[in-house]
Amino acid sequence: MIDSEQHPYVESIVREARRPVQTDQAARDRIMAAVRAEPLPERHAPHIWARAFQPRSFRLSPAGSALIAAGLVGIGVIAGTFAHNRDVRSQDGPSQMAVVPQSQLPVSDSAVKFVFVAPQAGRVSVVGDFNGWDSTKTPMVRAPHGGVWSVELPLSAGRHLYSFVVDGSWSADPSAPLAPDEGFGHANSVKVVSEGSAL
Amino acid sequence: MNNSSRPSIPYRRRFPVALVAAALALLGALPAAAQDPDPLSRLDPNSKFAVELLIDSATTLGLPADYLRSTALQGVALKADGKRIVDAVHKKFTLLKTAYATLGPVGGEELKAAASVLYAGAKPAQLAPFKTRQKDRYDLDAFVVWADLITRGVPSEEASSAITKLWQDGANDATFNGLWNSVQSDILKGLNPGAALQSRIRETPGRPTSTKVTPPDGH
Amino acid sequence: MTLDRQGWVIAKDMSDDAADVQRVLAGDVDAYAALVDRYYDRCARFAVRMLGNRDDAEDALQTTFLRAYRALNRYQERDRFSAWLYRILVNQCRSVAARRSHRERIFVREEALLLNAPDRTPNWSGDDEEFVQRVLSELDPLLREAFLLKHIEEMSYEEMSALTGVGVSALKMRVKRACDRLRDRWERIKND
Repeated sequence: MIDSEQHPYVESIVREARRPVQTDQAARDRIMAAVRAEPLPERHAPHIWARAFQPRSFRLSPAGSALIAAGLVGIGVIAGTFAHNRDVRSQDGPSQMAVVPQSQLPVSDSAVKFVFVAPQAGRVSVVGDFNGWDSTKTPMVRAPHGGVWSVELPLSAGRHLYSFVVDGSWSADPSAPLAPDEGFGHANSVKVVSEGSAL
Repeated sequence: MNNSSRPSIPYRRRFPVALVAAALALLGALPAAAQDPDPLSRLDPNSKFAVELLIDSATTLGLPADYLRSTALQGVALKADGKRIVDAVHKKFTLLKTAYATLGPVGGEELKAAASVLYAGAKPAQLAPFKTRQKDRYDLDAFVVWADLITRGVPSEEASSAITKLWQDGANDATFNGLWNSVQSDILKGLNPGAALQSRIRETPGRPTSTKVTPPDGH
Repeated sequence: MTLDRQGWVIAKDMSDDAADVQRVLAGDVDAYAALVDRYYDRCARFAVRMLGNRDDAEDALQTTFLRAYRALNRYQERDRFSAWLYRILVNQCRSVAARRSHRERIFVREEALLLNAPDRTPNWSGDDEEFVQRVLSELDPLLREAFLLKHIEEMSYEEMSALTGVGVSALKMRVKRACDRLRDRWERIKND
């Protein structure tokens, strides 16, 4: 069986589709007329940081997460470089966003504390839309007494879904509003982070 | 590491050790994108393709595609099968479109919360009153509480009319959250969810300064 | 004039485009006409193949070049101008398609794709642009887009990925899927 990309029929379609289409000068003239009616695009000097850093996608290694959990939130300049993600689409040039950007890491550094009481549990972690629902990413720490598990995480402003994973079983947060079951047989909890003093 | 040949102060002494350790750990994360494969790859190819198509459609329409991706990842984490995941993502996509059609161009977070209200069982017509945008009013908490009430068993009609009325009376986030807290504790004490809502609504003022619920104006 | 394999005029090197951009930013609006002239026909071909009709294509092209003009100060010389321009063009084509009155039918088509619904199979005489356009229009929009970028625009998967924001493997799958569907159509024609 020939690979379909090399199939003669496909090649014929490609050949035909590569032919130029008829265009008229009038359409180009209309473009230039519209352009001349616009204000001149201003020349902007790029920010110093834009020259120094290329935006790219970062993820925290487990060690990085643990350090943040231990309270080293908001490490100034380094935290600030995490704000971009290459999955952002744009309608205009590369830096203008028409859609809500998909952020894997927070653009604000409001730390949110998650708390869960489970005296009998051996392992508790929090999973949510901020860590890809990965139970290895955000382990919680047990207080010396009382069976109280907690972790602090920086979260972006807005609505976040989450649950606790207690020795492998998912559990909603009894002290938070519920979101409806999304079709997987489990209702998650909702945390709303207010827009604080981000950036 | 021996830097004795350099005349300047050794780097390490100038910064707290913890900060250096943090910086090293974070720098160690730099190639993490290469180490972490895309969790969606755990899906079978057809399901993965279907999910990516839906994510792309959402993006094209200006809808919060991250919400769909997160749904898929949740399904992967819960080890749901491919078809179930695609169905869940598809349903979310449809509800995002409906929420957008009903509310118009609101922020992504509000749209997700509104879609959740629809998911819980409210009808688009019940969302429609929220289309009238008021400057500086942010409906996130109202929607979150609304979805929660229905999820906990308050009949959809009752929850919708209670939330809408409060909102039209000018209730703010604190009011909605306060309402949620009291209804939730009543339900935990064994009260029927619908009854709990009704009794708490009677006590809840719309505008924070008024002492009784005033009828909605105009409509 | 420098031509590429397909016969399009290309800049002798990147600096032609970058130089024209700089001239526009310095106040020489007519320098933009040079950029339009260089890229219009090629963009038009993509827009027509993608959207299936001239009116929609021209709509997309007008907005693309206007938006590119407005965003010129954000173009950075290290990017290829054509790639930068195409990102705007691809997004504009998606917007135009989304706004079309038969938008719901496109979504139904996507759902049909998910459910593997059968579709009609027109006959091909061999040289007909209109026919090729019809065949392309029957492809799901995202498959069509990937197919056009890969086989008509001859971009690399890396370029396509940077342009669309979609991963390389997803794009490869879409192109393959598009070709599979075209081949399947041929099989059905043969057997009729």
